[in-house]
Amino acid sequence: MSELVLEPFRLPYMQRALAEVLLLGVLTGVAGVFVVLRRLAFMSDALTHTVFPGLVVAHLAGRSLALGALAFGVLTAVLFTLLAANRRVGSDAGMAIVLTALFSVGVVLVSRQHSYTSDLTLFLFGRVLTVDRADLVTTLVLAVLVLAVLAVLGKELVLRAFDPEGSTAMGYRGVVLDLVLNLLIALVVVAAVKAVGTVLVVAMLVVPAASARLLADRLAGMTILSCAFGVLGGWGGLLASYQLSVRGGLRLAAGATIVVVLVACFLAALAVAALRGRDGAQAAAP
Amino acid sequence: MSWLAGTFSDDFARRALVEAVLAGGLCGVVGVHVLLRRLPFLTVALAHANFPGAVLAALLGLNLLLGAGLFGVLVVLVVVGLGTRDRVEETSAVGMVLAGAFALGVLLLSAQAGFTKDLSAFLVGSILTVQRSDLVATAVTGTLVLGVLAALHKELVLGAFDRGGLAALGYPVAGLDLALVLCLQLTLVSALPAVGAMLAVALVVAPAATARLWTDRLGTTMVLAPCLGIAAAVAGLAVSQHVRAAAGATIVLVAAALFGLSLLLAPRHGLVSKLRRSRPPAGREAVSGDAPERGTAPAAR
Amino acid sequence: MSRREPRRRETALAFDRAAVRLGGRTIWSDLSLSVAHGQFVAILGPNGAGKSTLIKAVLGLVPVVRGSITVLGRAPRAARREVAYVPQADTLDAEFPVSALQVVLMGRYPRVGWVRRPGRADRAAARDALDAVGLAGQAGARFGTLSGGQRQRVLLARAIAQEPRLLLLDEPTNGVDAVSQQLLLLALQRLRADGAAVVVATHDLGLAHLACDDVCLLNHHQVGFGPVDETLTPELLRAAYGGQAIELGGQGVIVARP
Repeated sequence: MSELVLEPFRLPYMQRALAEVLLLGVLTGVAGVFVVLRRLAFMSDALTHTVFPGLVVAHLAGRSLALGALAFGVLTAVLFTLLAANRRVGSDAGMAIVLTALFSVGVVLVSRQHSYTSDLTLFLFGRVLTVDRADLVTTLVLAVLVLAVLAVLGKELVLRAFDPEGSTAMGYRGVVLDLVLNLLIALVVVAAVKAVGTVLVVAMLVVPAASARLLADRLAGMTILSCAFGVLGGWGGLLASYQLSVRGGLRLAAGATIVVVLVACFLAALAVAALRGRDGAQAAAP
Repeated sequence: MSWLAGTFSDDFARRALVEAVLAGGLCGVVGVHVLLRRLPFLTVALAHANFPGAVLAALLGLNLLLGAGLFGVLVVLVVVGLGTRDRVEETSAVGMVLAGAFALGVLLLSAQAGFTKDLSAFLVGSILTVQRSDLVATAVTGTLVLGVLAALHKELVLGAFDRGGLAALGYPVAGLDLALVLCLQLTLVSALPAVGAMLAVALVVAPAATARLWTDRLGTTMVLAPCLGIAAAVAGLAVSQHVRAAAGATIVLVAAALFGLSLLLAPRHGLVSKLRRSRPPAGREAVSGDAPERGTAPAAR
Repeated sequence: MSRREPRRRETALAFDRAAVRLGGRTIWSDLSLSVAHGQFVAILGPNGAGKSTLIKAVLGLVPVVRGSITVLGRAPRAARREVAYVPQADTLDAEFPVSALQVVLMGRYPRVGWVRRPGRADRAAARDALDAVGLAGQAGARFGTLSGGQRQRVLLARAIAQEPRLLLLDEPTNGVDAVSQQLLLLALQRLRADGAAVVVATHDLGLAHLACDDVCLLNHHQVGFGPVDETLTPELLRAAYGGQAIELGGQGVIVARP
């Protein structure tokens, strides 16, 4: 049994892939807590779409993909924060339009190349098995940066998530805090893009944290659980996709398999939470 | 005008034109309801969820519309079911289903050979290869959806505005919600050949959002939105022919450009006119404080 | 808790013919009132009269288009750190994974500042504040598991922990059980004795009678402002409420004082 589990990771490319998904699991686990508590799932999804043309432009210009993604990610994080202020159209509609428009820019640029369809696939779904050392370093740097900022600004961001009006009343500028968080999420998207592609990053941000929320009553517990689920999903998905491909002859995209494992964890958490009932027996004394 | 005629001189271009008109008009009308009920995120999720449905349908040899449509209904039920749980709030539920469904589609597709080639047609549309049967399907779906929306118009509008009031009058609120989401789902599926799963959202949301910037009256919006949708679709198609770019994406860019221009220039709700109207007042407080909380989530609180 | 000498001569809050606009409408105009340190003032009026907007204006969340609002001698936004706001508890997510103590600790953040974490003194202050509202035993309970009244008390404790010089409350007795109401009032009295100014927006006449020094009657304009006995007269009340039924101790009653 242990042979089954260990065998794939003797190969260098699998080792790199594993390192990448473990790192991402922790990063998206922590960031995901804020995404879920601040209800930012849509914005995260939107960011994955708007980062796509950045990838294309960088690819066409022969520059680092991370740089292209970063430029577009930062730009749209700012744009989305500002869009939230237009009440007439609603921030959701604005984001939906911006995300499809930018995505279309990417598609148009890609469509004029001969490598159209394979490029599209790479950007959308990533190829975690082709992660190299440079990619690992990029991910590590971004992870350290994001986690550091989240540690430092954590209490203010949690306050803003819990009681936006109260945080403003205490003197914190909501727009600034929102912008910082949105930028951090953009960085996480950039970090995860090469491995799992733009489409599946949302899963890594939302699913582990949502699972953790079902089981944890405190923020600290929720964060730890979220990381645990993220790491489990990454490792389990890689393992499953490798074994199924080698032994079962089923060629399944690694990134997608990771997401399936994460969703399975969520369903398990849902079942556990349902069995436990709501909140246990905390009787409120007057 | 003759330039336009010249662009659509051959058969597949003409079919593409008809599809563009049908899709643009239908999406525009549905889009108004989507905005009224603040459903853009759900629309994005549904559009993404259509992808595995379409893949399944293709693998099983089913009709694309049918397979994607049925799968989408399943997705809606899952989202609604998840959202009723206490600790799973709606936005995260939609996000999870979106990503999960898409991953499922990728899995199914990657297990096949010819992975990358089929993908792009599903995702970004391939309007120049629509067949007559696709046109017929779109027309039939469109008629059905528009018919339902027209019949239920006043109830849908009331429900969007005041859910409690609608329930108090004895209407089946959940049933009406479901009817609308099903109409949305059918619209998205019928727009698949034109603009694909990932871009259909734009055709639904952008023309309606643009219309909302120009008029305050619902009746006018319901006429203006499909007109803008058709205009964007036709113009986008024409431009894509000349520039040799992906048609679906170009259509979306035209629709988005219309929205962006309107955001700036619309008489009452555009940015330019707002800036001109807001001069700092005489009092000490020159700038309004932080706007009341506008999260990016649907107004579910 | 740091004690400041109540500076009775200096006002904590002053409106000078102020007017505000929100969403294109003028909510109220020509409002003039003042609250001294150590005073307890109620803003009374029917629903929709502009009471919540008044609170938001003091916090600098709504722009003043005429006249002025002075908070602790400064413009509203400059004074925020020393002004504490107690919202209605049901506006907050009951499923949020925080304990009562953690919520109260949030009130210390302006003092703790950026980057640093709350220290031992902060935790002690938070526990004291919870004790002041009678919830010392519930410090570890998740916020959402507490009753409505208890949650409201936790939010007041958060404000107390902030050690404010001005305290603003928005409908603090709404949907709150009688025991919690009493404990809330007790805590507010103590704050006021320590020199803080307290302003409550409410439609609860009984609260105004019980606890307040001055009352401002508001219905899109200032119907009256002054000491409770002089302001809660039948004529002024009728002018403010237009003869509608009014809440009095939880029952709907038409006010007619002898």
